[in-house]
Amino acid sequence: MGVRAAALSRWLRRESRADDVRIIRHERLPGGAIQENATLDVEVTGGPWSGQHALVLRSDAPSGIAVSLGRAQEFAVLRVAHAAGVIVPRPLFLCRDPGVLGREFFVMERLPGVAAGHRLTREPSLVPDGDALARELGANLARIHAIRPPCPGLEAPSPSANHALATIGNYRAQLDRQHDAYPTLEYGLRWCERHAPAPIGVTLIHRDYRTGNYLVDNGRLSGVLDWEFAGFGDPREDLGWFTARCWRFGGADREAGGIAALEPFLRGYASVAGRRISRSELDYWQLMAHLRWAVIALQQSRRHLAGGERSLELALTGHIVRELEYEVLHSIERGSR
Amino acid sequence: MDIADAADLLAIARETLLDELVPVLPNERRYAARMVASAMAIAAREHRLAPGAERREAETLRRLLQDVDSSPQVLVGVDATDALPALRGVVRDAIRAGAFDEPQREHALAAALLQIGTDQVAIANPKALRDRR
Repeated sequence: MGVRAAALSRWLRRESRADDVRIIRHERLPGGAIQENATLDVEVTGGPWSGQHALVLRSDAPSGIAVSLGRAQEFAVLRVAHAAGVIVPRPLFLCRDPGVLGREFFVMERLPGVAAGHRLTREPSLVPDGDALARELGANLARIHAIRPPCPGLEAPSPSANHALATIGNYRAQLDRQHDAYPTLEYGLRWCERHAPAPIGVTLIHRDYRTGNYLVDNGRLSGVLDWEFAGFGDPREDLGWFTARCWRFGGADREAGGIAALEPFLRGYASVAGRRISRSELDYWQLMAHLRWAVIALQQSRRHLAGGERSLELALTGHIVRELEYEVLHSIERGSR
Repeated sequence: MDIADAADLLAIARETLLDELVPVLPNERRYAARMVASAMAIAAREHRLAPGAERREAETLRRLLQDVDSSPQVLVGVDATDALPALRGVVRDAIRAGAFDEPQREHALAAALLQIGTDQVAIANPKALRDRR
């Protein structure tokens, strides 16, 4: 057993109050531009966790992007969401001691299912009833949005009166860190600034709730993943992000994340939230979704070009920006009619 | 032409990758190979289309800025020889300052950006243009 594995096993034994923890398998999973995931199978002897466990170990990647949470904060969000009945992997233990693996990490339950967006939107055998899945996803999102500040362990919301305007200011600041200027993104941001909706109460929002970031097992929602952007904000942002054209993969005509029409998703949402989003609000937040993805894609691209992280995937992500800009122009045109 | 040029080399290399290598790769390596093919396609289109697209973009942005000449402050430092990055920067500043808020100017801005954007999407992903039609 390597030094790291021994340290990990010792730490797990302490956290689970066990007599012994044997690591059966520990393998890095592919993907994860911002953090690294590894599968971790363990056998715990003694204590409250006695037995075999299939886990995921989630640690910070060598370099993250500016707006993502550290693992300790993400762990705190996951605990709050899990306690509120949101369908998520159960978070188990957090390690803040860099002496164990060299960086912060946490372990959570490993759930079954497929997350890959290009498969879920193209393979009917994975999603035999898209409407039912969309209803579950809507209801589950509403459960996240039922979490309101303050929450112990979570950072308080910023005191900005209008989340949309604060967000626009934030995107501009991020664009100012780029090498080049992006007139189309600037026009989109200006348009959103001038047409910002009246604010509604802030709630916990996931900020990356989309196809590709949840697991589907036997056609049912098995768990929502990737909480690294979560925080308090305008819940309509999540609805726009989930339904935006840029996150529909092989199902461009199916507005609910490429898996179903909009209606079952909104109906599922309303069944828990008791309210619906209007078409114009949704259009607005879909436009914001494209602007946000463009800002993030530019950051990814810079990581490849200047961040010491050469990667073909990051390089190609930069080229998505042109398509997003194109969508921004068409969305404004529709919104101005 | 007697010897394959950059565009032709990229095209034949990509064909070889997709036709001869991808089919024999293990599944978990195909994604990376497809990314390579995609990068080669973008590079080939950029090689062919970018010079014209950039020339048109500079002309379009210059014309757009001249049309907002009742806000001379945004035009300070702009002349016909300015490079594209500087022009984009001036347009960004003008947008943020509200120089295109008035409906007629907004219309001119949107039309200019759509023209530029169409050229750029033709390089990055022409399929997105077809999807729009």
